[in-house]
Amino acid sequence: MGMLLIAIAYLVYAAFWVRLSLHTLIWYRAARDRGTRHPGVSGGRLLAASTALIDIIFFRRLFSSSKLLWYGSWAFHAAFLLVVLRHLRYFLEPVPECISDLQIFGIVAGYVLVPALAYTALLRTLPGRRYVFYQNYLVLGLLFLIGATGLLMRNFFRPDLVDVKSFIMGLVAFRPVAPPGNLLFIVHFSLVLLLVPYLPFHIFTAPVIAIEARRRQQGLDMVMHDKR
Amino acid sequence: MTSDKDKRGPADEGGSFTKGLSPLQLMEIDSCTQCGECLKFCPVQDVTGNPLISPPEKIRLFREFIRATEGLKSRLFGPGEIDRKLLEDFSKAVYECTTCGACGESCTVGIFTQRLWPMLRKEMVRRGLGPIGPQAKIPQTILETGNPYGKPAGERFSPWLPEGTRIADSAGVAYYAGCTGAYEAQPMVRGDVSVLNAIAEPFVMLPPEEEVCCGFPLFITGQHDLLENLVRRLVTAYKARDVRTLVCSCPCCVNIMARDWPIFYGKELPFKIRHITQFAEEAIKAGKLVIRKELHERLIYHDPCYLSRGVGVMEEPRAVLRAIPGAELLEFERNRLQSRCCGAGGAARKIFHDNAVAMGRLTIDEAVAKKADKLILSCPACYAKVNEAMAGHDRQIKIVDIMELVSGLL
Repeated sequence: MGMLLIAIAYLVYAAFWVRLSLHTLIWYRAARDRGTRHPGVSGGRLLAASTALIDIIFFRRLFSSSKLLWYGSWAFHAAFLLVVLRHLRYFLEPVPECISDLQIFGIVAGYVLVPALAYTALLRTLPGRRYVFYQNYLVLGLLFLIGATGLLMRNFFRPDLVDVKSFIMGLVAFRPVAPPGNLLFIVHFSLVLLLVPYLPFHIFTAPVIAIEARRRQQGLDMVMHDKR
Repeated sequence: MTSDKDKRGPADEGGSFTKGLSPLQLMEIDSCTQCGECLKFCPVQDVTGNPLISPPEKIRLFREFIRATEGLKSRLFGPGEIDRKLLEDFSKAVYECTTCGACGESCTVGIFTQRLWPMLRKEMVRRGLGPIGPQAKIPQTILETGNPYGKPAGERFSPWLPEGTRIADSAGVAYYAGCTGAYEAQPMVRGDVSVLNAIAEPFVMLPPEEEVCCGFPLFITGQHDLLENLVRRLVTAYKARDVRTLVCSCPCCVNIMARDWPIFYGKELPFKIRHITQFAEEAIKAGKLVIRKELHERLIYHDPCYLSRGVGVMEEPRAVLRAIPGAELLEFERNRLQSRCCGAGGAARKIFHDNAVAMGRLTIDEAVAKKADKLILSCPACYAKVNEAMAGHDRQIKIVDIMELVSGLL
């Protein structure tokens, strides 16, 4: 069982990097063929990047479009980031001080993450929402279960943290050791492995597009007007 | 009878799906969060309610096509099969779109859809799945007649050019009437030239056989082969007449001129592109154009998608309307960058006629509900389609082009 979990973990890890590499290859090939570009007129990248920070950090465009969805989406993403940062303590030795300082925020974020996901999923089922693709539910459901099992471990069925860290560090260092004997941890970890292939790529590309959108917006006034 | 198996083909038939897209557009396809917020702003959704032709669904399908040809599985075991019907459905969805770009404006990430959809259409053309219906005849028609309507060059100007118009052989300013204005929205181009006459600055117009299509119908339907040739012909002709400012009233024309002509020409254009409302507003400010007659009416201005979201000309038309003594300017709920498509865009108006009429009627209904006396347009395609939508509709309003209105008040 332990060996199988380790083998699957490495498979998922490898598949993730292959997937990312293939996407990078596609982007690279498209970048090489400059003749196909129809960029439109855009403003400066630096200015756009600085103003787009607000768009990226606070999901300004979503806020303008739907406040209801924004509450759930922003709370989930912020909580998810904190929870991921908190989990870095299992991957790093020694644990950096900033990660140690973040632990309390990560714990609180865990309690925000699960209801935020439930709220977002609920919003998608409301009448009037015309577009929902099943994969969205799958990802939301997986994240919900990962969060819920995490909370259960934190409050009721605590695994041996030394065993958890040994297991994770072993995986990272390619010197795998047996996973902890806590069933809930096995479920939690397996769900994470199941999530990785479905990780939406917008987490990597959306910030770039948000900067470009700002740049385009700043450049719009220059398309048909003299530069000021 | 054809079995389902027969309708499927290797996914790499036609090669990669990513060839015609820029890296940024590929990232845009990856960056859609499938949140579905854009459906609230999509005019096609307003009238069809069909989420299968919605922006996120089109992006999802295109991702599937890329995955089938360039994903891990296809690289390891060869390209999979894509259902031919799925490709055809996708193609139809891309062509049913009016390419108005409202989805991109409301996109929670910021995808530039007004540019992405035409490039996906180009990909469909490359694979023999686009364009749709009579759109396929546009290149040949332009080759034969110089315009997408197949009308003779001799009729391009003569039915509407105001008497006494003095056209210079060479001047700093040129006026491009455009095919839709010249053949389908003649009160509009007559108004343009009347206003130019009133400004009394010499201007050039190419002879009708030389004023060929600007290329927009080809660009927007994804048929790019003739574009470079058309652009070079037009730019060279204006350059030879020492033109420094090219004025045009069609938003689609000014969009391709300002954004894409430099790409097809290979370098910066030797002249500026200006929409007629920009030129008129400058003339009003300079005292060269004076609107003398009063008009005590409520006017509501509709922002054409390719003028507002396309090239950012939003305040000049309003400034011109505010210069009319006595006129009251009203606004649609969705105006400027958020404006709602009237249904005429994307070369879809003659293929998906019912959709276009229904969208046009939404615009008319809102204008009537706002108690406007006149609905003011500044796009020949909008002008033709909204007038068509009005025929047989239970709500009526007077539709006027902005320069048609101004020229009657000088």
